[in-house]
Amino acid sequence: MIDFHTHPVMIRELVSEEAELRRAVREVFGLLFPPQPLEVFLRELDEAGVERAVLLPLDCTTAHGCRIVSNEQVAELASGNPRFIGFASVDPNLEDAPRALERAVKGLGLRGLKLDPALQRFRPDSRERAFPLYQACSQLGVPVMIHCGLSWAPRGRAGLASPLFLEEAVQEFPALTFIIPHFGWPWVGEAVMLALKHANVYLDTSILYCGTPRQALHRVLAEQVGLNVLEQGLHDRLLFGSNYPRQDIRRSVRGLLDLPLSPSLREALLAGNAERLLQPQAGVS
Amino acid sequence: MISKIERFTVTTRRELELIDITAQVEGAVASSGVQEGVVFVMSLHTTTALTVNEGLPDLEADLAGCLEALVPERFSYRHARFLPSDGQMAINAPSHLRGALLGFQAFFPVEAGRMVRGERQTIYFVELDGPQERTYLIQVLGLRQRKESL
Repeated sequence: MIDFHTHPVMIRELVSEEAELRRAVREVFGLLFPPQPLEVFLRELDEAGVERAVLLPLDCTTAHGCRIVSNEQVAELASGNPRFIGFASVDPNLEDAPRALERAVKGLGLRGLKLDPALQRFRPDSRERAFPLYQACSQLGVPVMIHCGLSWAPRGRAGLASPLFLEEAVQEFPALTFIIPHFGWPWVGEAVMLALKHANVYLDTSILYCGTPRQALHRVLAEQVGLNVLEQGLHDRLLFGSNYPRQDIRRSVRGLLDLPLSPSLREALLAGNAERLLQPQAGVS
Repeated sequence: MISKIERFTVTTRRELELIDITAQVEGAVASSGVQEGVVFVMSLHTTTALTVNEGLPDLEADLAGCLEALVPERFSYRHARFLPSDGQMAINAPSHLRGALLGFQAFFPVEAGRMVRGERQTIYFVELDGPQERTYLIQVLGLRQRKESL
């Protein structure tokens, strides 16, 4: 299994070294419980039966004066343990963002881009701010995950995170993979619409708004979207994500395993689709 | 009167796990210098427990299985929501309730410098929402010398 959505923001070895990171995690990202040793993260993966995890940082330099874990820290974690797959984050509001992304991918070995318009304060349909980054991702051959929907971060603004803001970019960069996390909740219909229509749109299952993962996943995937839609229309476009540490990985896995999915879809969702997506892709020049 | 408090940290491996801490408690008593008194053991968490039972693997498995059956994962708990004071989803009601059933403390008398316990009694720290780093506390309270020698 691959967990495509984890935030390495409560690892004691990182946050204990940096007062500024501690402040950012608490005040900007909004996690207020004590950090745990890295070993606990690895054991949490073990107990959930997850082999690998994508680590997502967030660069909020312009909006909040901080990076919620830096690209260098993610690269260090990923180089120290083959179970970790590091993504980069750059600030779209900075002019050199595309070059920073190139350095993170080519220099640090990071394998995708994480953006969060709700926290980084940009419009995903901005040709000035966002499109140069989509162009860079496309050229580098790495996917981009863009937060959509409810933002639990205290300073997050969901109004900037509608999936519909992505459609123009999805059409303009057909070789670039766009990952919409959280199924875009509460804009589930819009997120599913994009993924059904566009082969370069993926959805991750880190749906958390209320209730246990079992309840939330059943409500959204089985009742709202329909399991037949997942089987027939989104089989190759779904990724397992927990959103750890906002949600625990064990219960997220159990919630998914509780759904009556076909063996084929279960394998694709928990591992196959992520493995295919993480294969080195030829960049588009 | 002596009062000595020691904190012990354990990094658990499983979601539900029984960890034998008898040696740590006896060691704390021995190093305290208390000859007559009591030893208290207390967990500092609300999704762990302390319990005493016979130290057999089959009983450990039965205890875990009964806790899971008595407080099932599948139930409509109210504690299943976003918790603003943590910034995370609070979805571990079964862990809290299993802890409430077992309790979070244990105590034993101390006599002649040794903890008094039945020969089949094992002291367990019980993880109910692991893996996590956990802390439990041992306090030894009592007299340095035996009463008759005072």
